[in-house]
Amino acid sequence: MDRSEALEVILDYYQNPRNYGEMQDADVSLQGGNPGCGDIITMFLKFNGDRLEKVTYTGEGCTISQAAASMLTEILPGQTIEQIENLDFHMIVELLSEEMVKTRPKCSTLGLDIAKTATRQFHQQKRLKE
Amino acid sequence: MYAHPDYLVETDWVADHLDDPTVRVVESDEDYLLYETGHIPGAVKVDWFTTLQHPVRRDFLSREEFETLCSNSGIANDTTVVFYGDRNNWFACYALWLFEYYGHKHSKIMNGGRAKWAAEGRPLTREVPNYPKTSYHAETPDSTIRAFRDEVMRHVAERHPLVDVRSPQEFTGELLHMPNYPQEGATRGGHIPGAVNIPWSKAVREDGTFKSADELSEMYASQGVKPGENVIAYCRIGERSSHTWFVLKYLLGFPRVKNYDGSWTEWGNLVGAPIEKGPVETKGG
Repeated sequence: MDRSEALEVILDYYQNPRNYGEMQDADVSLQGGNPGCGDIITMFLKFNGDRLEKVTYTGEGCTISQAAASMLTEILPGQTIEQIENLDFHMIVELLSEEMVKTRPKCSTLGLDIAKTATRQFHQQKRLKE
Repeated sequence: MYAHPDYLVETDWVADHLDDPTVRVVESDEDYLLYETGHIPGAVKVDWFTTLQHPVRRDFLSREEFETLCSNSGIANDTTVVFYGDRNNWFACYALWLFEYYGHKHSKIMNGGRAKWAAEGRPLTREVPNYPKTSYHAETPDSTIRAFRDEVMRHVAERHPLVDVRSPQEFTGELLHMPNYPQEGATRGGHIPGAVNIPWSKAVREDGTFKSADELSEMYASQGVKPGENVIAYCRIGERSSHTWFVLKYLLGFPRVKNYDGSWTEWGNLVGAPIEKGPVETKGG
C-alpha cells in the first residue's frame, strides 16, 4: 500500500467511522487518551466466551487516532483474548502504514492499547468468577 | 493594543492575500493528516514532527535542512509567512518560533487558526500546491529566543520569572505523564522551582482568537510576569510554551523571553535537577 492509498483509507475511516457509538451491553469499556492533547477514545468490547464478538468506539481527536480505532472495530472481532493480548504495533503498521505509525506512534496505537487493556481487565474479572 | 500587531492577521486578511506572491501560508497541526483532509488554498504543510525535528537526536532540523525546506516551499527570505493550524494555533506558533530561530524576519499568525477559517465557511482544498524553488539563506540560530538546560539552571538560581504553561495537574506533579502516554512523561513530577503556572490555553478565547492585550497583560502580571524581566516559558516538549512565547513577545512586547524546548521531558528526567511539587501561592502583581 503506497502513501496515497494509505492516506485515502485512513481519511475514509476518519470521515466515515465504522461501529461508532456506545455499546449498552458491553462486557467491558475503557477510556484512554489525553483531553489536553485532544485524543480521547472509549472502546466497548463484548465477548462470547473467550472470543471477542463485537467492538464499538466513541471518541474525538486526530485523524490517525480516530481512523485507527475505527479500523480496529472491524479487525478485532473474532480474535481470542490471548490473541488480542499479544497484538502489538506491527498490526497497526499493517493497518495504517509505517509512515503513519512512525510519525504519530501514540495516536496510531491508542485504540489498540485501550482495547488490549480492556481485554486484560475482562480476562481478570472472568478468572475471578471462575 | 498589542505591542506588535503586525504579527497577527485575521482570516479576512489571509483570504484577501491568497493570490499574493509575496505571501506564503503554512499549515502546522498537531493532527498529522489534518492538512490532507483539506487546507487553505495555496497553503503548504509543515509538520512539527516529521519536518522540523532532527530524525535522530533531540534537536531541530539543521540550518541547511531549514534552507531546503523553505526553498522547496517557495519561501524566499522576503516572503511573508502566515502560520495557522489546529489546537488554537499551538503548532503554528511552534513553527513560527522555529522559523524565527533561523532568522526569518517576516512571519505572522492567522488569528483563530484553522478552526475559525472553517467555522466561517471559507474554502478548503485538498489540492497540494507546487511552487518554484527559491534560494533561501538561513541565519545562525537565534539564541535570544531559545533557552537550554544550563541557562535555565542559572535562571532558577537568579530567581528570574519562569512560566510553566502545562495543566495544573502536570505542574503540581499529580500527573507524571498524560494518560496512556507514558513515553512522553518524566521519571519525576512537579515543576521547576520558582515557576508560576499559567496554562497556555488561557491566552485564547473559545474561538481560538487571542485575548486582548489588556486581558493578557493582567493575566501574566497577576502572577508576577512582567516586561522588563528575563522570562523563560516551558511545557513538556516546548510546543505549548512556544504559544506562550508568541503571546509574551509579540502581543505583549516582552523584550527578553525565551522558549525552553527541553522543557519537562528534559528537566523531569535530569539527575539532580531541583523540583518543586504542589501548587504555588498566587503572586501579587
